[in-house]
Amino acid sequence: MAEISSTSSLQKVAIRINGVLHEFKVGTDLEPSTTLSVFLRERLGFTGLKVSCDEGACGACTIIMDGKAVLSCMLLAMEADGKDLLTIEGLPKDDPVIEAFAEQCEPGHGTALQCGYCTPGFVMTTRALLNENPTPTLDEVREALSGNLCRCGCYDGIAMAVLHASEKIVLRGGQA
Amino acid sequence: MNTPYKPRIPRRFIGGYQPRIDALEKAQGRAPYADDVTSERNYPGLLHARVLRSPYPRARITHLDTSKAAALPGVKAILTFQDAEVKRLKPTNAGWTDAVDTVSYEGMMWGKFRDRKVLGDYAAWAGDEVGVAIAAESEQIAEQALKLLEIDWDILPYVMDPLKSMQPDAPVIHPEITQTNILPPDPRGGPDIFVNKGDIERGFSEADVVLEMDTGHHNPTQGSLDPWCCLAQWEEDRLTIVSNSYAPDQTRMHVSQMLELPIHKVRAISKYVGGQFGRADTGDQPFFLFTALLAKKSGRPVKFKHTRRDSFHDTRQPALYHCKVGALTDGTITTLQFKSIGDIGAYADHSVFALKFAPAEISEAALAPIPNIKMESYAVYTNHIPGCMMRGVGNSQFNFIFGRMIDALAERLEMDPITLAIKNFGHEWGSCPDPSLKAVLETGAERIGWNEKRHKPGAGPLIEDTKRQGVGFSVHPGWHAEWQEERRGQVQAKITLYPDGTVTLDAPTVETGTGSNTCNVLGCAEALGFLGVSPEDITWVSTVDTDQGMRDCVQTDSAVSFLQSEVMVVVAQELKRKLLDLAAPALGITADQLDINEGQITGPGKSISVKDLLWKGDLVPLSVMISRAPAKQRTGVPYIASFAEVEVDTATGRTQVLKLIIINDCGTVMYASGAEAQQIGGQVMAIGEALTEEIIYDPIRGIPLNFNFIDYKMPTILDMPKVEPVLLEVWRGAGEYGACGIGEGTLTCTPRAIANAVYNAIGTRIDEIPITPEKVLQALGRI
Repeated sequence: MAEISSTSSLQKVAIRINGVLHEFKVGTDLEPSTTLSVFLRERLGFTGLKVSCDEGACGACTIIMDGKAVLSCMLLAMEADGKDLLTIEGLPKDDPVIEAFAEQCEPGHGTALQCGYCTPGFVMTTRALLNENPTPTLDEVREALSGNLCRCGCYDGIAMAVLHASEKIVLRGGQA
Repeated sequence: MNTPYKPRIPRRFIGGYQPRIDALEKAQGRAPYADDVTSERNYPGLLHARVLRSPYPRARITHLDTSKAAALPGVKAILTFQDAEVKRLKPTNAGWTDAVDTVSYEGMMWGKFRDRKVLGDYAAWAGDEVGVAIAAESEQIAEQALKLLEIDWDILPYVMDPLKSMQPDAPVIHPEITQTNILPPDPRGGPDIFVNKGDIERGFSEADVVLEMDTGHHNPTQGSLDPWCCLAQWEEDRLTIVSNSYAPDQTRMHVSQMLELPIHKVRAISKYVGGQFGRADTGDQPFFLFTALLAKKSGRPVKFKHTRRDSFHDTRQPALYHCKVGALTDGTITTLQFKSIGDIGAYADHSVFALKFAPAEISEAALAPIPNIKMESYAVYTNHIPGCMMRGVGNSQFNFIFGRMIDALAERLEMDPITLAIKNFGHEWGSCPDPSLKAVLETGAERIGWNEKRHKPGAGPLIEDTKRQGVGFSVHPGWHAEWQEERRGQVQAKITLYPDGTVTLDAPTVETGTGSNTCNVLGCAEALGFLGVSPEDITWVSTVDTDQGMRDCVQTDSAVSFLQSEVMVVVAQELKRKLLDLAAPALGITADQLDINEGQITGPGKSISVKDLLWKGDLVPLSVMISRAPAKQRTGVPYIASFAEVEVDTATGRTQVLKLIIINDCGTVMYASGAEAQQIGGQVMAIGEALTEEIIYDPIRGIPLNFNFIDYKMPTILDMPKVEPVLLEVWRGAGEYGACGIGEGTLTCTPRAIANAVYNAIGTRIDEIPITPEKVLQALGRI
C-alpha cells in the first residue's frame, strides 16, 4: 500500500505493455482509482482479458506482470508504474500454450475451452507456470490453475492442454 | 479409459474428434464478446447505466426525490417509475418463450403470469430492479448517483418459505395474479393435478409394497462468467441493441413489442457469449427496455452491464417433491404419485414449465408402462430470487426424487435398482425393456464396476478409520428429443459457394460455448461432400445480426448441434441442382445426365470441375437459403445416466466424488470432442449443485448473503474427480442424422447419483441438496 501512496502524487506513469513502453497522465489518461483491468480493456483495447467477478475470485483477468501471473482486477493501473506487463495479445500465435489450448480434442478429455470466456485467464496462468516450471506434473498443474474458474467445466481438457504445452516446449528445446 | 466411441455409421466429418472451429481465436483472446465490442473506445460518448436494487425483500417506494442525484456531475439521464415512458410499458414476464420459437407479447407462453412491471415502484426480492435507472459518464458516477436518491420505502412483510407462503395469513406478493401466492392453473401448464391416469387409490391398495419419500432441490445459479451486458443506441428512430442475449430474434421481438417499435426499427446483434446455461430464461428482461429508454433520453449510447453481484439474477427453481410408489413383489411398479411445491421466488417466469410441463412429458416418455399415475404441483411465490431455467427446465428437480424412488424401492424389494429401472420404464410408443435405457444402465454399471463396488447401505469397509465409499446411479429420459421438433418452427440455413470452391455458412445461432458452431461446419462439409469441401474451406458467420433477415436457432434444448445440419442436407441438394443447371449448357448435356463427385461434374463423355465452371461464369456467388421445419417421426426417446462413486468422511462429514461415469445416448454423435466436453463439463455444475453451491439468506432480514464467487462455491479444478464420458448411439431420432441434444442432460442425473452413492456409503439418506458436511454429520447423528 505504501507504493500506492507514493505513486499517487506522480503526474505520469510509465508501463511497458507487450514490449512497448507507454506513458500515461494521471487525471487525463487514468484516474488514481482506475483498476488495471478496466484501464487495459476500456482505454487501451486489450480486451483479451475479461472482467468477470471483479474481485479476484475467478482468474479471468489474469495477465503477467514482471513474469508473475497477477489478477488485473485487483491492481490499480497506477500500481503498474515501472512494470512490464504481458497480456494475451502479446503472445505469438505459435505460443505453445495457445496452440495446445486450441488443439485439445483427444478422446476422453473433451476440449480445453467451450464458451472461451475464462480461456485467456487460463492461458496466462499457464504461461506463467510454464515459464517457472516447464515440465510440471499433473498435480502441479492442478494446483497452479486452482484460482481460475471455468463454468463450462473444461478442467480436464485444460490440464491435458497444459501438459501438451509442456511437451511442445520440451520439443522446441526448452524454448517457449 | 480413453476409448473413442464407435459411430453407428462412419461419416467423413460428422462425429469426429477434432478441435473446435473457434478454438484458436478463443485461445488467443481474440473472440469478440458483447462486453469487448461495446468498450468506450468503440463507442465515443458511451454512458453507463445502473439500476436501483431493492435493499428489502418486499417493499414499495412511496416517495422519491432525484434532485441530488441529477445534480451530480456526469449524470446524464434519470429514468423513474414516475416517467410517462415507463408508466406506459405493459406488465410482462421474463419467459415469453422457451426460445424454441420467437413469440409476441400476446403469444407469450405464460400470458397469465405477467407479474413484472418494468422499473416499477414495487420490489419483490432483495435485489429486485426497482424504480430508478441512471445513465452517467461512468459506472462509478451512476452508482454514486443511486446513493444520492432520496427514497421513502414502505417496508412490507415478506415470506421466504413456500409452505408458509401458502398459508392464509402470508403476505400476498402479486395480488394482481393470485390472492393465495399459488399460481392459478393456466392453459400451458394445465390444472393443479396435471397428470391423472388410472386409479392411484386402487393401485396403492393392491400393491404389495408402498413407499413414501420427500426431497428438496435448492437454488444453484447458472454462474456464467460473462455477465449480462447490453448496449442501446438510437439513430433517429432506429434502435440497435448489442448484447450477449442468446436469442437475438426474440430480443428484437421483445423490444419491438414492449417499446411499440416496428420490427425493422430494431436491430439486435449478438457475438460470442461466455456461457448461457438458461440464465434469465429467454432474456425478455426489463434491462433491455430501461437501457433503451435511457439511451433515448440522453441521446447517447448507453451500456448496462451486470456486476458479479447483479449476475446472481435467477436460479434453478427450487422444488419440494413428495413421491409415493406402489409395487408388486416381482418388482412391477403399478402406481406413482408425485406432488411438488415449487418455490418460484419473486416472479413466475418459466416456473410452471419446470413444475408441470417437464414432468408431464416424462410421464409419457418414460413412465408409460405404469398404469396408475397422479402428478400434482403448486407454484408458489416467495420473496426469494426468481427461479428460472438452468441447464434444463425441471429435469434436475424431478430426477432428484425419481432416482431416489428407484434406489429406495429396489432396496425394499431386494432387487438391483438397475434391474428395477429396466423392468419398469419405457415410452408410450416403444417397447419395454427400452433398448436405450438398457444400454445406458448396463454400460454405466460395467464402467463403474457396479457388481464389485455396490454393497448394502453403509456396509462397505471402513477406510482410514473414518471413511466409507459407495456407488450410486440415476437415469432420465431425454424427453425433448421427440418433443422439441413440434414447436421449433422453421430452422434456417444458407450456404454460399464461391468460384474458388470456398464456402460461407450462415447458420445463425449465438455460440454460447456449446460447440454447435463446430457441429454446423462439420454438417456443412458433410452435406457438401459432393464438392469435396473440407471444414477448413468453410467460414461460419459468428455474429448474429437481425439485419441479416434470418432467424437464429436458439441454444436451447441443446438441439442446435443437429437442427441446422439437418437443414443443410436439403440446402446442399438444392445447391447441387443449381450447379447442374449451370453445367448443363456449358457441357451441352442435360442436367439429369450429370452428377457431381469430389468437385467434378461428369456426364456421358464430358467433365468439368465445379471451380472451372464457376470461374467461367459471372463470378456471382451461388447462394441457397432454405427454411425447413424439423423432421417429425415417432422416435421414442434416448436415455441419460450418471454413475457416481463417492467417499464420505464420517468424522468431518465431507463428501468427495471419486469418479463419475456419464452416459448419453446421442442417436448420432455430431462432434465427438464437443459432446465429450459437454459431458465432462456439465459435471462442474452438477457437483457444485450436489455438494457446495447454495444461495444463503439472512433469515432475519431476508437478504441474500453470498452473491459472489468466493462465498458461492463453484468447483475449481481441484474439486473435480475423473469424469469418464461415454457416448452411445442406440436410439435413433428423425432426419438424416437422427441425433438429439445432450448438453442439458449431462448433469440432470448426477446430483441424485451422488446422493444415492452417499446413501450406499453411509447407510443414511440425505435428501436435500447440497449435501454439506453439516447435513452428513446430522444424518449420522454426530451433531
